[in-house]
Amino acid sequence: MNITQQVINGLILGSGYALIAIGWTVLLGAARLVNFAHGQLYMLAAFVAWAAMDRLGVSYFIAVPIAVVVLGLVGVLLQIMMLRPVMQQNLTSLMIVTLGFGYVFQGGAARIFGGNPESFKSPLQSAEIRFGDIWFTWQDVVTLAGTLVLFAALWLVVNRTRLGALVRAVAEDPRLAQLFGIDAARIYIGVFVFECAAVALGAGLVAPRSPILASMGFDEVILTFVVVVLGGIGSVGGSLLAGFGLGMFTALFGALVSPAYTTAAAFALLVAVLVMRPRGLGAR
Amino acid sequence: MRNFATPAAFLLAALAYFVPAVSGGAPVIYAACTTIALLAVMSYGADLILSYLGEVSLGHTIFWATGGYAASLLAVNAGWNGWQTAAAAVAVSVVLAAALGLATLRTREFVFSLVTYAAAVVAMEVAFNWSFLGGSDGVVGVPPLQLTLFGVGITGSSNADLWPVAWGLLMLTLLFIHRFRRSRLGTSALMVQMNPDLAQALGVDQRAVRFLVFVASAPISALAGWLYAYQRAYVGPDMFESYFLVLMLTAIVIVGRRLLLGPLIGTALIIVQQTFFSIGGDGDKIVLGAVLAGILLLWPKGLIGVWDALAVRRRSSRPRPSAQIPS
Repeated sequence: MNITQQVINGLILGSGYALIAIGWTVLLGAARLVNFAHGQLYMLAAFVAWAAMDRLGVSYFIAVPIAVVVLGLVGVLLQIMMLRPVMQQNLTSLMIVTLGFGYVFQGGAARIFGGNPESFKSPLQSAEIRFGDIWFTWQDVVTLAGTLVLFAALWLVVNRTRLGALVRAVAEDPRLAQLFGIDAARIYIGVFVFECAAVALGAGLVAPRSPILASMGFDEVILTFVVVVLGGIGSVGGSLLAGFGLGMFTALFGALVSPAYTTAAAFALLVAVLVMRPRGLGAR
Repeated sequence: MRNFATPAAFLLAALAYFVPAVSGGAPVIYAACTTIALLAVMSYGADLILSYLGEVSLGHTIFWATGGYAASLLAVNAGWNGWQTAAAAVAVSVVLAAALGLATLRTREFVFSLVTYAAAVVAMEVAFNWSFLGGSDGVVGVPPLQLTLFGVGITGSSNADLWPVAWGLLMLTLLFIHRFRRSRLGTSALMVQMNPDLAQALGVDQRAVRFLVFVASAPISALAGWLYAYQRAYVGPDMFESYFLVLMLTAIVIVGRRLLLGPLIGTALIIVQQTFFSIGGDGDKIVLGAVLAGILLLWPKGLIGVWDALAVRRRSSRPRPSAQIPS
């Protein structure tokens, strides 16, 4: 039992959780929209990148940007379709609508890409780094670095730019923001595109760890639920902390207690926190 | 016209009993009708939450699976008959719903949905890993349903045998929903959803209402799962699959919320498509998901909203002798 190795695993896992969760948490914060198709968007991005490599023959470093762009376009389409209930803030309907979209993606991806597991390979995955009996891959390093860079950039945009101020204004009160001449519909579309693009980047960096499957959808990203809620709705810094915290928890729980019940334990933790703080840890 | 709506709905549902016999009595017809009835009952459980509390429960697959596991485990391991397993399914689901209801007492909107979803994930993981519940293999070899009283009743496992049970369960569920809508709890739930401030002012205990409605909804889905175990003679972690969740929600919204026959007609439409007009498993997923999203985006009130819009147009094109208060 090597604790240092587990801590490193936790950091790597955690950066992946945070990266996959960030689009979701921004969307939830700005549009109060829970996107239950998040997992299927992750799956779709992984398959788009895989298809670009496998069918078009491009390298991994081109395939991931392709997936980000394609998913961004998917985001525009989805948000245009959902614009009416989003503007009305009809949140119950929206949750169910996104569940429906997710189901369409799952069936559609199985039709287009086939129902078999595929291996989406990154050349960095096989480049190992060893220090004594501790090891990790260059893919892990890139994931960790990419997560930190993205979070820093996002934090700056949200808190230090006019665009960020617009997003925060719409999040606070969409109607009032519109009175001040802010085009809330465009902000919502922009936020949704960011969600889709960010989850595509997450899939590009994290999905090569394991085989990809059209039906993986929610199971793959289910733990990011915990990150989104524990980090505090819409909080960038909170998500990063929650992501690393969850990564540590799953790595240590999996190694010390029981790997089979790791997800259950993380969710039990979430439920326990929500019973005490119904709006999440980050809420004031 | 409203006065005839409820008796007409019950008459229609009662006449549905003869549908399989009239349409030829082929096994595939009995299978489809039994499946429609029991999945409709499952949907009515979630309908209670969505239509009357206005919340989206993503955890009703737990109660559906609870019913299935209670029936199969007790019938296989303890040899219990249908009445006993049904009672156990109701009891276990009420206990689980009370626990989950307490945990979600203060949560609203998406937090409520997230927590119920999280609970379903935990439950699935437990079912998948715990050998007591059969683990990933599930429970196989569920014996035929024995549902007799004083020597008369039903023993069987074919869909033709199970159809009267499924139909009877459906009728009981409809009666329950009808009574619920007129009960103090049902009207309080609607008030809490539509106008929480008014409910507060009238002294309605909102948390108690939400808790009671949640607990009352669980045995409905559980009894559907109970019958499903006998229909399939097998129960496994696949009862937690998102198929059932998406099906419940689609069945509720397709025709329109707060309509007595809504979930039944919705389920019937879905299962008829999947049984007789299937375009492959993945194609059916696309259809189901697209219907769910499309209905809510195009006609948020469901198909009944389209009907109402047409009716309004027809009425307004006719000359009216006196002014009416628009409803």
